[in-house]
Amino acid sequence: MAFRHLAALWVQITGTLCNLQCVHCINASGPREPWLPPLDAETARRHITEAAALGVKEIYFTGGEPFMHPAIMPLLAFALERAPTTVLTNGTLITDATADALVALAAAARYSLEIRVSLDDPDRERNDAIRGRGAFERALRAIVRLNARGLLPILTATETEAAPGGDRYARLRALLLEAGVRKPRVKLLPLFPVGRAQGRGGGTVTREMLAAVDPARLQCSETRAAAAGGIYVCPILSGLPEARMDGATLADTLVPNRVDHPACLVCWQTGSSCRNA
Amino acid sequence: MTTLSEPRAFRRIAVFGGVYSNAHALAATLADVRRREVDAVFCLGDLGGCGPHPDRVFPLLRDAGVRAIQGNYDLAVAEGHTDCGCGYTDPRDNHFAHLSYAYTLARTATENRRWMAALPGHRRLRLGGLPALLCHGSPRAISEFLWESTTPDGLVARFLDDARAQLILCTHSGIKWHRRLADGRHLVNVGVIGRPENDGTTGVWYTLLTAESGGDLDVEFVPVAYDHEMLAKEMDAEGLPPEFAETVRTGWWTTCLEVLPGRERSQGRF
Ligand SMILES: [Fe+2]
Repeated sequence: MAFRHLAALWVQITGTLCNLQCVHCINASGPREPWLPPLDAETARRHITEAAALGVKEIYFTGGEPFMHPAIMPLLAFALERAPTTVLTNGTLITDATADALVALAAAARYSLEIRVSLDDPDRERNDAIRGRGAFERALRAIVRLNARGLLPILTATETEAAPGGDRYARLRALLLEAGVRKPRVKLLPLFPVGRAQGRGGGTVTREMLAAVDPARLQCSETRAAAAGGIYVCPILSGLPEARMDGATLADTLVPNRVDHPACLVCWQTGSSCRNA
Repeated sequence: MTTLSEPRAFRRIAVFGGVYSNAHALAATLADVRRREVDAVFCLGDLGGCGPHPDRVFPLLRDAGVRAIQGNYDLAVAEGHTDCGCGYTDPRDNHFAHLSYAYTLARTATENRRWMAALPGHRRLRLGGLPALLCHGSPRAISEFLWESTTPDGLVARFLDDARAQLILCTHSGIKWHRRLADGRHLVNVGVIGRPENDGTTGVWYTLLTAESGGDLDVEFVPVAYDHEMLAKEMDAEGLPPEFAETVRTGWWTTCLEVLPGRERSQGRF
């Protein structure tokens, strides 16, 4: 796939260290012995600085669970001085104190700070069957906490079945309204056959399919992910040896990339992007 | 997409975007511009949209000699696309976008669609001594939103470098803003005249840009009041969604809010 321009830099700040262990996790994150270690703050700052100089539009922090990183708050402040910044979180660690700190950070920043809280199913039982007992309650509480302070979180839901349910967006929106969130924001992501969901998709993008697609439809034409071990093609495949880009700097990696992972087929089919909008 | 270059330099220009079939606001804007001694008037695209009677804006634009570029809506209507290319994911937003697009497509005369098809994608000009690039969304994509809170200085500098310009003008998002970089270069989102900018007031905005040769740029956002109640009544009479007319009457956006960044979203009512 041809590279167009760097719109988004993803920073997999905690590697695959997470306090939850969801059954569909794209990078098989969990609390014990993460297969991909966290990124040190110095390396993260170096990549963010380079991305800003290259004209990046947005910085995203992901993991694992980013709020498990000891330097997450100063790193967010550092990123926000350079570009709009988003954190993808499960919400479980967003206490009142953390919510206050995030609101203060957002208010002082030149650019938008976005918090994306993962909650996959508007039904509590079904959500917790995927994300673990209590995950629904804690995610919803984080959303309400942030919302009450005027920082409007984006509920991010991953499709839990290969065939997406038609009214999920409306049901998630209704859940937020019912919880008192007056400006509901919802982001849907497809299920990617990678990590713990490996094998839940079939086939790859063929040469003919690739020739027929507008590069703008595939997020790898405008995105890169920094994680332990280097720069990777996109946030979905971040950390996988086969998705690692050659090069000493971020600029070196802004070159055409392979799209032969089964997850690439999902991007090709859906045109989905992990970015906020 | 083509780029059209103006042969001579200007001292003062008026620029607006996003007409959205609002002929009342367009007439009021052009009347205001006539009092301002401008060298030329530019429209950055999106002539159709949520408003009624899409054919009414074209004679106004032509009679006033407005130099337009193509917006994503104009491209879609000109080529008869199945949707406006806004790419919403909220089914509610898609529902509203489809209704207004289908209405606009069905009621835009062939000659006006041809006129839009012939519009350039970009324009270049000199304002005072400043080389300027005019685009719809961003210099690199017709449907890219440039919001104040999500457009970093580094990206603005990149756009200006790539365009070899001192000034970039854009629209598409619907809220005006101006960024002056530390090195003195500028990006101005000129806003839209077709609907209010989600601040609870019913007026709209266009932009006056003035630069003496060798002097710095002066950017003035000009408020325009128009008969918004008349527009809303026409929208009701045409059977357009009441949510659209509500925006016209109240100044608050009611639909398609998903594209707003958190900061801009928090400033509106919905
Ligand atoms: Fe537009």
